[in-house]
Amino acid sequence: MIIFSALVSGMSLGAMYGLIALGFHVTYIVSRTVNFSQGSSVMLGAVLGYVLVARYGWPIMVAAPAALLGCALLGLLIERVLVRPFVARQSNAWLMATVAGGLLLDNLVLFTFGKEPRGFPSWLDDKPFIIFGVGVTPLQIVIPLVGSVVAVALWLVLTRSRFGKALSASVQNSDAARLMGIDVGRLVAATYGLSSMLAGLAGLLIAPLYNVHAEMGTLFGIKAFAVAIIGGITHAPGVMVAGLIYGIGEALVTALLGSTYTQIVMFSAVIATLALVPRGLFAAAALKKV
Amino acid sequence: MLKIVITGCCQALLVLLALAMGPVHPLHAQETLKIGLVAALSGQSAKSGEAIIRGLSIALDEINAKGGVLGKKLELLTRDDESNPAKGLVAARELVQREKIAVLFGGLDTPVSLAIAPFVNQAKVPFMGVWAAGTGITRNGAAENYVFRVSAVDTLVDIALVDYAVKKYGAKTPGMILVNNAWGESNEAGLKAALVSKGMSAAGIEKFEANDVDVVPQLSRLKAAGADTLFLVGNVGPSAQVVKSLDRMGWNVPVVSHWGPAGGRFTELAGPSAEKVHFIQTYSFSGKLSQKGESVFTLLKAKYPEIKTTTDVTPAVGIANAYDALHLTALAITKAGSIEGTKIRQGFYDIDHYAGLIKTYAKPFTPDNHDALSAADYIFTYFKGAEILPLSN
Amino acid sequence: MKHHLTSGAILCALLAGSLWLVATGEDYTIFIIALVALTAVAGIGLNVLTGLSGQVSFGHVGFYSIGAYAVGVLALKGVSLWIAVPVAGIVAAALGSLLALPALRVSGPYLGMMTIAFAFIVEHVTIEWRQLTGGQNGLIGIPQPTLVGGLSGERAIAFLAVILCAVSLIFFRLIAAGRWGKAMIAVRDSEIAAASIGLSVTRIKTLAFTISALLTGMAGGIFALLLTFIAPSAFPFSQSILFLLSVIVGGAGWTLGPLIGAGVTVVLPELISWLAEYRLLAFSALLLIVLWLAPEGIIGALARFLPPGKSQRPNAGNFSIALFLARPDHSRGLEVRRLSISFGGIMAAQAIDFSARASRITGLIGPNGAGKTTVLNLVSGFYSPDHGDILLDGHDVTRMSPEQLARRGMARTYQTTQLFSSLSVIDNVLIAMRRGRLGVPWLGFANSIERAQAEGLLAFVGYDGDLGTRAGALAHVDRRLVEIARALAMRPSVLLLDEPAAGLDSRDKAHLGLVLQALSAAGLAVLLVEHDMPLVMEICDSLIVLDAGCKIASGKPADIVSNSRVRAAYLGTQTTAFGKRKALPPADQPVILKVDHLGAGYGSLDVLHDVSFSVGAGEMIAILGSNGAGKSTTMRALSGLNSPKEGHITFNGQAIANKPAHEIVRCGLVLVPEGRQIFPELSVADNLRLGAYCRKDDRIEADMAAVLARFPRLSDRINGRAGLLSGGEAQMLAVARALMGRPRLLLLDEPSLGLAPRIVEGLYGVLGQLRDDGMTILIVDQMAHMALQLADRGYLISNGRIIRQATASALLDDPSFEAVYLGQHTPSPHGNLPDAG
Repeated sequence: MIIFSALVSGMSLGAMYGLIALGFHVTYIVSRTVNFSQGSSVMLGAVLGYVLVARYGWPIMVAAPAALLGCALLGLLIERVLVRPFVARQSNAWLMATVAGGLLLDNLVLFTFGKEPRGFPSWLDDKPFIIFGVGVTPLQIVIPLVGSVVAVALWLVLTRSRFGKALSASVQNSDAARLMGIDVGRLVAATYGLSSMLAGLAGLLIAPLYNVHAEMGTLFGIKAFAVAIIGGITHAPGVMVAGLIYGIGEALVTALLGSTYTQIVMFSAVIATLALVPRGLFAAAALKKV
Repeated sequence: MLKIVITGCCQALLVLLALAMGPVHPLHAQETLKIGLVAALSGQSAKSGEAIIRGLSIALDEINAKGGVLGKKLELLTRDDESNPAKGLVAARELVQREKIAVLFGGLDTPVSLAIAPFVNQAKVPFMGVWAAGTGITRNGAAENYVFRVSAVDTLVDIALVDYAVKKYGAKTPGMILVNNAWGESNEAGLKAALVSKGMSAAGIEKFEANDVDVVPQLSRLKAAGADTLFLVGNVGPSAQVVKSLDRMGWNVPVVSHWGPAGGRFTELAGPSAEKVHFIQTYSFSGKLSQKGESVFTLLKAKYPEIKTTTDVTPAVGIANAYDALHLTALAITKAGSIEGTKIRQGFYDIDHYAGLIKTYAKPFTPDNHDALSAADYIFTYFKGAEILPLSN
Repeated sequence: MKHHLTSGAILCALLAGSLWLVATGEDYTIFIIALVALTAVAGIGLNVLTGLSGQVSFGHVGFYSIGAYAVGVLALKGVSLWIAVPVAGIVAAALGSLLALPALRVSGPYLGMMTIAFAFIVEHVTIEWRQLTGGQNGLIGIPQPTLVGGLSGERAIAFLAVILCAVSLIFFRLIAAGRWGKAMIAVRDSEIAAASIGLSVTRIKTLAFTISALLTGMAGGIFALLLTFIAPSAFPFSQSILFLLSVIVGGAGWTLGPLIGAGVTVVLPELISWLAEYRLLAFSALLLIVLWLAPEGIIGALARFLPPGKSQRPNAGNFSIALFLARPDHSRGLEVRRLSISFGGIMAAQAIDFSARASRITGLIGPNGAGKTTVLNLVSGFYSPDHGDILLDGHDVTRMSPEQLARRGMARTYQTTQLFSSLSVIDNVLIAMRRGRLGVPWLGFANSIERAQAEGLLAFVGYDGDLGTRAGALAHVDRRLVEIARALAMRPSVLLLDEPAAGLDSRDKAHLGLVLQALSAAGLAVLLVEHDMPLVMEICDSLIVLDAGCKIASGKPADIVSNSRVRAAYLGTQTTAFGKRKALPPADQPVILKVDHLGAGYGSLDVLHDVSFSVGAGEMIAILGSNGAGKSTTMRALSGLNSPKEGHITFNGQAIANKPAHEIVRCGLVLVPEGRQIFPELSVADNLRLGAYCRKDDRIEADMAAVLARFPRLSDRINGRAGLLSGGEAQMLAVARALMGRPRLLLLDEPSLGLAPRIVEGLYGVLGQLRDDGMTILIVDQMAHMALQLADRGYLISNGRIIRQATASALLDDPSFEAVYLGQHTPSPHGNLPDAG
């Protein structure tokens, strides 16, 4: 029973890590850069959602897309201001710039949104129901569900749509993509928008389970980066699966060994994984096929 | 382009130099008596720093309206420690050595206060803790102790928590669910000792990170270990995560908590089950207020427009502790008749009586006891909606 | 030298100033100076890793924390600081080298994550190992020592911190200027080249990690003494970021960089401490401004204003290459027996036998994709052969690593030069002199004898530029020369050269020929992969010809030229399966593309010079020339993949020379790039649809049907992954994809590359139909006969210049044009090789 309950706990967190990690994935594949302040985008999604729903009384169905749009704009801004100027000068200082940008955003939100954690009004019935003797709330089902749906939708978009085709073309061969008339620079900007949107969605999903405050995203961002890396950052389904593995792993270690060892075991596992499969779990498998 | 860069660099350098050479604070026409605060003003604990500043500011305005202390207006200088002991120690040094403050106030984080304590004892500058409850802060073993406190003391709180759990719920095998930081760890030791003194032991001790979303795995272990009551230590956000996780598990177990839930909108965060948590308090603005309470609340509303009802005054303990602490400090300085640290320390011992917000203090400090609040000042409370109400046990 | 003196003077002044402040300043100032010094030491440690060996660590707070706890625990047990601090450094260094083991296998973001994980593990271990660390509430009351002269308290600690900082700076300077540092830079710049001069990449990276951890750990140790109290919250993850910021803001790789950076990251927050809760906000904003102003760091930005050092040219002195390369025993050169390797089922090399004897130049030639570089990679240890043996000086060296081979006397150069771009020219040569032995760091980089030898080598290969120039800033020709000098510095017995003449003009080629002949005379076995046939014919003693991974001929140059298999491999067979236009286009078609005085190249390499030509609507034009002549560069310049350096391109009356590639496509100029470059993970249909990416009309599906009718083989595989197509099908797809864009001018770059003759014929058949349907085509192909049979006119290009233009039939009948390919003699002064005596 402890194991089943850990599975339930781990799934929703894992799906959320996966979503944020997919955000690392989409920018990395086209530009070999990532936004190290993904956690701040998670926070912004939740904060915007909270402000629109709780303060302005918007219905969640309107507030959520609006919040995601806000995150997308943030992503575009990050690319334009914190990444592109440095990449254009062959400097890797974008790494530090995105970190500083995240710190800046966290602090701006702290002084505008407020310093208290706020409770996100749940948009689902909160009553848990019992499966196999374990209490499960609807949200805990919905998060992995939405996570998987989004991951599948993203995967479909990436594999089926014109945008996705252009994206995978740029990933596979950037020069040839330009020869097709694809503006790779704009595509990079678009992936940053998408990346922040995915993080914002994770923030919106987790907010009712958690709470909303300016610093809420930092640790999620770091864990999601771990997830992206061990999943093999170039491989979208792998990243999502790694998210679930990480979330469930965390819950299982806590349930079986006790909370004392959770972080030590999980981060040691990250090092061990990278030592054994340096390109991540799933990227390596994908390579062998070629 | 290059030229702009060069001039930009030069200008930046000049500004930096100017900042480094000159005094950094605006000049005051009138000589003031400076007091300092080193607390977490940014990051996760920013709210605690804000509360302390509010409590201090209200008291400071009252004192200055009456002409200040020793004929000088009080001036409050605040510094952010980012919850990092090293930064706290640097800030304390800056305030003491550069700004020549008379008394230093401390914030939420026990490690920061622990780092500052040896320094103030050596520098002979009184340090007034208004939040951090770690036992070793005031009982630091220094021959000349300059650290005072108007706040709870973990060891005493833990005894009270165990007493309450046994009396109220007949707890036999309680479990602990503690936030993984210095505060949680200090209470782990305190609770263990309190249980031992009652001939009991914990069914299990679990920790969780302040950022944890789901605490079900930890709680499942405690449940499996047969815990009949839970001791909860964590700030309001993390405490709410514990309550929500309990809800999800459908585990209806009595929860006896440190004062964390009082630090914010606990019921908003944790849902209806939040009302089942009984927690310890030193002060609350809810319910029927004393005359002093009314007047402080009125001043708060006037000074901070975002405060509209008593439920907006969070965390009340931070405000109340800071408010009383500054008044006590002003009294001590008046008694000392000087801003010399040694004399102010004696001044603290000389305070006979002060009718404060939390209680009426009689001889609050003696050379053997630097804690103005004791077990008798703790009350158990619970949330009813957004209000904190006292419990009679 | 002057720079060293200046930085030395700055260092002394800083040291004296801070010691004076420590001695006289108030406690707070002392504390801040100590913090700057300690952050600087941690930063210097990180600078070894980031600035020299090019690895980024987000986990240095872990080493800082380990050092602090080591000293904290020991000092509380009464251990003297003189023991405790070094122990802290050693413990951190030990863990550093342990972390280096897994970290060696990863790089970039993977390495970043590993170091982040390390920092978190250390944090949680210090929290949980309570008996040792005191848990969350830390270690209280760490005693501060009293130094000689009664110095005590934080004054003593600050004094120690400043001294440690000064020592670390000097240590870094020694390392950076010495063999260790140069080896780290070499590994950072090019792991491949580092391995091929015998440097052990593994050992050097581990060394960098260990030194880095050692310094950071010692800084952490003193930090514990300064604070007298340590807890996990004093070592937050953000401190790692601050260390990294110190290095980057100051200037990675510069000795004083971390010191300046530490000044910024420690003092700046203090200057704005009065902002209280807004300090962090302001600090992050200020950091962004600094990063924008100086992305390469403050010192990096200032260094641009330093006067350049005095230029110094190599002095040959009485250097003799024969004496330098002389060896006691006689070299037996290289022998290769039945060497085979396959990649994913494709035989890249198949049972290849040859030998490269001492005192001989052996040429390895063949058309593009024949497997020449594969053979070099096998011989130099970068690939491990599936079968076969490699003998060096008579010893079996099969499956040895590149660095082992290098140490045994195998030297090589690369098709795209692999110099250590941030090292100076002379250092590039000096670092190869010891075949990878590192020695001790404080002995200096090289002695005067070695320096003279390196100058001699550079003078011998013909380099006469400045010795102090960074190799990355060299002109293309000089890179080739320096790379050869570096290879020679190892005193090899076998020298492998991969297209050393590519991009060289005729005078440089002539000199290169002389150099290689002198090397051969000095007893070296030279194996030369080269496309420049005149050069090959001139200097090689024997030739091996490869095609499609097989050896198809070997022998004396004169015999090879007349070999019919070789001719077919190079020129394509003459067939008549497709042919002349049925109807010639009207004589006075408007000019659709006009190229005027085009110049182009890559970085410092100029490939095209003053190229002018034009294409009329409906025409089919061929651009011909040997490999490396500049054909593909022309195509890349036209399509916008490489912006031209000079000249004009007018297409349909529009100037397109400076437009980005994706806009040029929208004008109707579509390139079928060299090597097909289809999107392998996408389906055939998706590849085709991407060809129509710019189009918004509703005829796309109709066009697709039309294109598939042209290439019926593709419709069978329409839903398959493009990566699974055979070479011929992939080329058809590439052409079809381009047609989907409805081009007004179709550019084809080497469409027959690597295809079997039968497939090429089919492809050319389709191209002929396209031409007859009125498509304007500009084609570049090595298969000159084929291209000319279809084309209306042709341009002959050599060494980046157009040397001849004529109608296709005139060119086909002109025997001199064969010479450009096979190099019996050259038709223009530019291709001429002066008599190399």
